[in-house]
Amino acid sequence: MQPPDTRHSLIARLQNPANEMAWAEFVAAYEPFLSHLVRRHGAASQHVPDVTQQVLAAIAHSVERWRDDGSPASFRRWMTRVARNVAIKYLAREWREVTGQGGSDFCNLLMNVPDADAEQSQSYEFELILWAAEKVRAEFRESSWKAFWGTVIEGRPVQALAEELNVTPGSIYMSRSRIMARIRAEVRELND
Amino acid sequence: MRPDRRDLIGASLVELQPIQCDRDLLLRSLEETLSERQEEQLTEHLSECYACQRELERLAADQAEWSKVSETLRRAAQSSDSFDASRRTPPHDETEPRLGEHETDFAVDFLEPSREAKALGRFGDIEILGVIGRGAMGIVLKGFQAELNRPVAVKVLAPHLASSGAARQRFAREARATAAIVHPHVMPILSVHSSGRLPYLVMPYVGCESLQHYLDRNGPLAPIEVVRIGVQAARGLAAAHAQGLVHRDVKPANILMEKGGGRVMLTDFGLARAADDASLTRTGVIAGTPQYMSPEQSRGEAIDARSDLFSLGSVLYALCAGRPPFRAETCYGVLRRITDTEPRPLREVNPEVPLWLEAVIGRLHAKDPAARFATASETADLFEQCLAHMQQPALFSLPACAAQLAKSRQPTVDNTSSEQRSHPSNMSVPLRKRRWFAAIAALWLVGALAASLFAWSFFGSRTDSVRIGTMPNRSPPVLPKSESSATQWDGAAIQIDDALRTSDVLHAKVEELWPAAPLPAPGETEALVPSAPNLLFNSEQESTK
Repeated sequence: MQPPDTRHSLIARLQNPANEMAWAEFVAAYEPFLSHLVRRHGAASQHVPDVTQQVLAAIAHSVERWRDDGSPASFRRWMTRVARNVAIKYLAREWREVTGQGGSDFCNLLMNVPDADAEQSQSYEFELILWAAEKVRAEFRESSWKAFWGTVIEGRPVQALAEELNVTPGSIYMSRSRIMARIRAEVRELND
Repeated sequence: MRPDRRDLIGASLVELQPIQCDRDLLLRSLEETLSERQEEQLTEHLSECYACQRELERLAADQAEWSKVSETLRRAAQSSDSFDASRRTPPHDETEPRLGEHETDFAVDFLEPSREAKALGRFGDIEILGVIGRGAMGIVLKGFQAELNRPVAVKVLAPHLASSGAARQRFAREARATAAIVHPHVMPILSVHSSGRLPYLVMPYVGCESLQHYLDRNGPLAPIEVVRIGVQAARGLAAAHAQGLVHRDVKPANILMEKGGGRVMLTDFGLARAADDASLTRTGVIAGTPQYMSPEQSRGEAIDARSDLFSLGSVLYALCAGRPPFRAETCYGVLRRITDTEPRPLREVNPEVPLWLEAVIGRLHAKDPAARFATASETADLFEQCLAHMQQPALFSLPACAAQLAKSRQPTVDNTSSEQRSHPSNMSVPLRKRRWFAAIAALWLVGALAASLFAWSFFGSRTDSVRIGTMPNRSPPVLPKSESSATQWDGAAIQIDDALRTSDVLHAKVEELWPAAPLPAPGETEALVPSAPNLLFNSEQESTK
């Protein structure tokens, strides 16, 4: 685990435009998550890389002006907001191209885009866990994930899943704990 | 030859015993640093022990985290648009072309019209008769070179990789290097065309199947077959190593066995490298297990020819056991097993394996490259002597080296858990290290996709089995129709002509070995195997006796 102030020092270094290392580090750490956010905001999958690039560009552009307001997760809320704004801009353009108009339909569409500013922090956490879970899921055998999902999320008895997957109850305990530990590690990695 | 200390390890036959509650063991199970046997014991214990179940869950995450994650995922699963338990994240970037879905589109994109009625189209001087297989990295086509009157396999790099300069350069460099290895146990490359829009390789169309395919169908091989394959694969590796090439991806899927004759050939030399450049920036999702990697590869260290020897050891182990030596729940777990643990003793899995063979494979499996055999040709020589012994024990005694290795591998009296002695517990795996492993695993995957493409496509995946030498049933030919694509193709053809000229020398060299073979008749299922390499093979075998 990294010391808790790593990310803060990273953000500080990020604000120095000459520090390309910090930027590279930031992109490496956050790009996958930002692309997840963009996808979740409704960008078509073939446009996700592009929109993610736009988010990164927007962050690069304005990170110097970002000031810690002292409230919890200030930087993350700001970052999530930038991603959301870029995604909405993209969606609006898409919408105009498809329908040739803005109007109330588009407002309705935006209503479905998750979250207002007040919920930003909560939404960030939600998306982060989702992102981590999808990532971790790909690392494990399908049967392990089923064991985790069936017993932890659906709350079914271990014995039932063990019979269904034809494994021992012990391996279900092991798989689901490993998956949980990995999700936690991924979340903490971005969250410190 | 001095016996490797590690050869002693794993020889003691520890019975599966119930274990005591052990917090350290639980922690290490989360970090995936347990050996296979330890893990088996622990899961057995976990099935019964309530206290350990709770402790393991507590070590994984605290109560609040468990409930937060499960609530989040439950909520996400309930909302229609998002996370779905049954949906798995696609292993590749969705912007990538799905060759499987658009096979004919893919063909239209680069084939020229052909005058041959039964051909899909033409590619350079090759009439394309069908698609042998396809994968993320490209497509393998069955073709016929009318001028030279021979069937060929054409492997074309996928367009999305062909647009990366680095990928193309590596494709070309590695392919040329491979083409320079002329050896009966290396699948030859007839020509390399790297300057056209889509780089491609031309290979002979040979009736064979991969060892992976053979294993899947038939299960473990008899020890004498394993040794026979060991001799040939090691000879092929020696030829590559003599050219300064390290294969890097020796595995059953990359070793082809000729049908009938039983000759073994290595394939896919270093093509893995052509893939990684273009794919580095893609979101790396680990979808496979790097089961045949060497420890130094797993750690991302520099590797040399001895890395291939470790992988060869894993291949021979798999051939004896019917399964790879290092398995785990995740990719990361496999990498940890490779670096940290000894595989289960072969004779426990397959009692037919002689002790000396287990010991020789154990020597190839030494974690320290310096403790393995020094070269592939030394390995081949040893296997050859062993083979002679197996065939005629009265005439040929077991080589002293193998006998000595076997002696040092006798079960030891000491019955304490050998794994724990050999592998000091790695209490805390730093996250960075784990990410490094994961990065290796991801890179491996990308490489493996490329490397396995050829073999995979030749023999068909398990679900979509295309028999080698059989013309696959494909949809009717689709030819480019529009003028624009024809014009485009003229340009490509000119470039391909250039490439052809540069590879004339190569052609000439290979032609000596691979005389023109007639196209199989329509009903014929077996491809024709050129005979010249067989002769070469036979004479070489005799000369080495």
